[in-house]
Amino acid sequence: MSATQGETPRLEVRGLSKRYGPVLANDDISLAVAPAELHCLLGENGAGKSTLSACIYGLAVSDMGEILVDGQRLDLRSPADAIAAGIGMVHQHFVLVPRFTVLENIVVGTGSGLRLDLAAARGRITDLCARLHLDIDLDRRVDSLSVGEMQWVEIVKSLYLGARLLILDEPTAVLTPQESERLFALIAELKGSGIAIILITHKMNEVMRSDRVSVLRKGRLVATLTTADTTRDALTELMVGRSVATIEARHIAASQGASLSVRGLTLSAPRGSLIQAIDLDVAPGEILGIAGVAGNGQDELLETIAGIRAPRAGTITLRGEPMSSLGAAEVAGRGVGHVPSDRFRDGLARDFTIAENLILGQQWLRRWRKGPLLDRAAMAANGQDAIARYAIATTGPEQPSGRLSGGNAQKVIIAREFAKAQHLLLLNQPTRGVDVGAIEFIHAEVLAKRDQGCAVILVSEELDDLFALSDRIIVMFRNEVMGEVRRGAFDKTAIGRLMAGARAA
Amino acid sequence: MRMLEHLGWRVVRADASPARTAVWVSASLLLAVLLSALLFEAAGASPAAAFAALLKGAFGSWRTASETLVAATPLIFTGLATAVAFRARIWNIGAEGQVFAGAMFAYWCQHGLAGFSPAIQLPVIVLGGLAGGGLYAGLAAILKTRFNVDEVISTVMLNYIIVYALSLLLLQGPWSEPGAFFEQSAKMDPGSLLPLLSGGSRLHAGFLLAVAAAAVVQVIMTRTPVGYEIRAAGSNLRALKVQGTSPARVILMVMMISGALAGLAGVAQVYGVHYRLKAGALTGYGYTGIIVAILGQLKPWGVVAAAIVFGALVTGATFMQVKTGVPSALIYAVEAILLLCYLAGWAAARFRLKRVAHAG
Repeated sequence: MSATQGETPRLEVRGLSKRYGPVLANDDISLAVAPAELHCLLGENGAGKSTLSACIYGLAVSDMGEILVDGQRLDLRSPADAIAAGIGMVHQHFVLVPRFTVLENIVVGTGSGLRLDLAAARGRITDLCARLHLDIDLDRRVDSLSVGEMQWVEIVKSLYLGARLLILDEPTAVLTPQESERLFALIAELKGSGIAIILITHKMNEVMRSDRVSVLRKGRLVATLTTADTTRDALTELMVGRSVATIEARHIAASQGASLSVRGLTLSAPRGSLIQAIDLDVAPGEILGIAGVAGNGQDELLETIAGIRAPRAGTITLRGEPMSSLGAAEVAGRGVGHVPSDRFRDGLARDFTIAENLILGQQWLRRWRKGPLLDRAAMAANGQDAIARYAIATTGPEQPSGRLSGGNAQKVIIAREFAKAQHLLLLNQPTRGVDVGAIEFIHAEVLAKRDQGCAVILVSEELDDLFALSDRIIVMFRNEVMGEVRRGAFDKTAIGRLMAGARAA
Repeated sequence: MRMLEHLGWRVVRADASPARTAVWVSASLLLAVLLSALLFEAAGASPAAAFAALLKGAFGSWRTASETLVAATPLIFTGLATAVAFRARIWNIGAEGQVFAGAMFAYWCQHGLAGFSPAIQLPVIVLGGLAGGGLYAGLAAILKTRFNVDEVISTVMLNYIIVYALSLLLLQGPWSEPGAFFEQSAKMDPGSLLPLLSGGSRLHAGFLLAVAAAAVVQVIMTRTPVGYEIRAAGSNLRALKVQGTSPARVILMVMMISGALAGLAGVAQVYGVHYRLKAGALTGYGYTGIIVAILGQLKPWGVVAAAIVFGALVTGATFMQVKTGVPSALIYAVEAILLLCYLAGWAAARFRLKRVAHAG
């Protein structure tokens, strides 16, 4: 189903370049996508996938190059221009009005003039859904839909607006494995009706289901390949620029007894609970994985254990000592490190240097002070150590953190938190948005920490990562633990069912 | 923006390198001088003569130069107060009221001590000023952290409250000068006055205190855990909270330091210049301090420099009026022109116009 010669491609990009300040985000990129083709954009963070799709969808204007749809050259100045040209895009974060119904969300902002002909729209949308075998009640409110269903609404909305080319930006990041399967079934239906799809992803098993794949690295198009003619390893090597070893956790027997013990932990919010009666134990030298779609209470659980939130009920004990009533600084003082999921929001002060960020929260500790003043020499030495130990790519400890790449920023946080974590390490999506080389490194560091006898809790949406590292996996859904799976019994289908809310038998 | 694009231009972000910023800011200050010149021209004077008179009036002799420093003194305090708060991204617009609170609390502590030696009275007024301004600003901090009241609203409101409170105390209250017609306190006890630094000028010890305060703020901001927390709050308060540092504590601390500095401006005016407690001695310095802080780039020595420039403008304006007939009130327009041009230059350094090729 690749673009055959002679046929007009649905989308053609010719010599597209886009520069952001000193960074050439897209460098002379040319590619073509045929009608009914599923075309993958593959690349590490910062490789230029987002910039390219932003240019195609009119969110950014390219400095050079041309974009053609069905042979027509376009002058894209805004998403409105792109939509008019038959281009649709589904973002990672949905753009829906929660209180509106499905129907209202689809037609909002589409009418010309003031009159809204809902009846006619309903007819067209019902036809569309029937053709795609989608079963959505158009009168349900969007806030009552599951995440997967909201994604359908976004897709139907694009089609209703006349999309012939659909860009999907990491669509499975928010889905359970089962929901992802449904999405791929829908993609097959879309292809059947001649719609071209650009899929942005970094998950190899999804890439392998495409017709063709374009690999980007450092802003350049490295290759466009017919997927059937290539392999995962070859693609990874193209993406990273070298071959990557996959880490398998050597499973060492965890010592007996719990290091961390959580009982009946409940956190309440003005509307309902954020986590509900959670029990868990982690032994020294054990990695407990927590699977689940983001937003099912994982952040809150880790933040409560870390002392950032005060629980309403329940107990947390570390090495036999209660710590449910301690604040975050005191918990850290007990030998607990916490890597938050959103590194620039929760983990770093952008205006601070690396050396300053490495002592965030510890500014009053004697270690970093000389009398009433901060001990700059000690901070700089600490910064040098961290840069060497964690291979942080930077000009030195005095470099402002705001200029670091995602992977290097994460390494700064990891350096700080791993140093604190004598007994317990809480990791929330430690490798999200980090390039493959750094992921390898972070995984190795986590295993080293475990080998030193530290208890580790690892929250991740990537089942592959959890399977590689965890000794046990628990699954969270709607703020509760749905079940537990031990190493040796890891199974994507079973865990996927728990992620979707089915209870373990 | 669309119109620009039709003409083939587009506004894009540019790297704000120090050199680029310096060029744009210098150019914008030059523009401020040009616009002020037009203003003087419109007032019927030769701009050259007006600037010359302004300069002579501000720095022409030790006497005028010392007057410039006297005028700069309260602005250094309020500029520092604003700079500390703004560095933490806490928008304390209440330096105006905190100046009043500092002066009033100092007076409340001191006015019973008439006759005591300066060695007792001077520490009392300085500590009283710090405490009064700090506590009054602390009120806004508590409103913010406990009741989630935006500090911009609360500090502006508190500015009004304190002005009327002073009026009440001076008009018919216990602090009014017996038998006097004016809304002011009795003359201060000689032992409480800030010592003059040289005969023949009004320059008082408050100026040295202001310079010392700038040095202390500089050290606090760059070298101490307190300054670390202030800067961290300005960059990412949430990250600080995740690490166990209480945002409420940081906000209270920042506001109290800020208010305490502003409070000293009140002490300097009342005990260094006017020798009476009255609204006229205190009005306007808080708001001007915001401009001074911004022009000083929220840095202590920048604040001192900007405050001296503003002191010079005010001091030189009188001479300019006498010499060239330009109304001295126009100097407030010059201050505003300076601020707006500076802000424009600062923004211009961060953006540039780019020629876009028109496709199609």
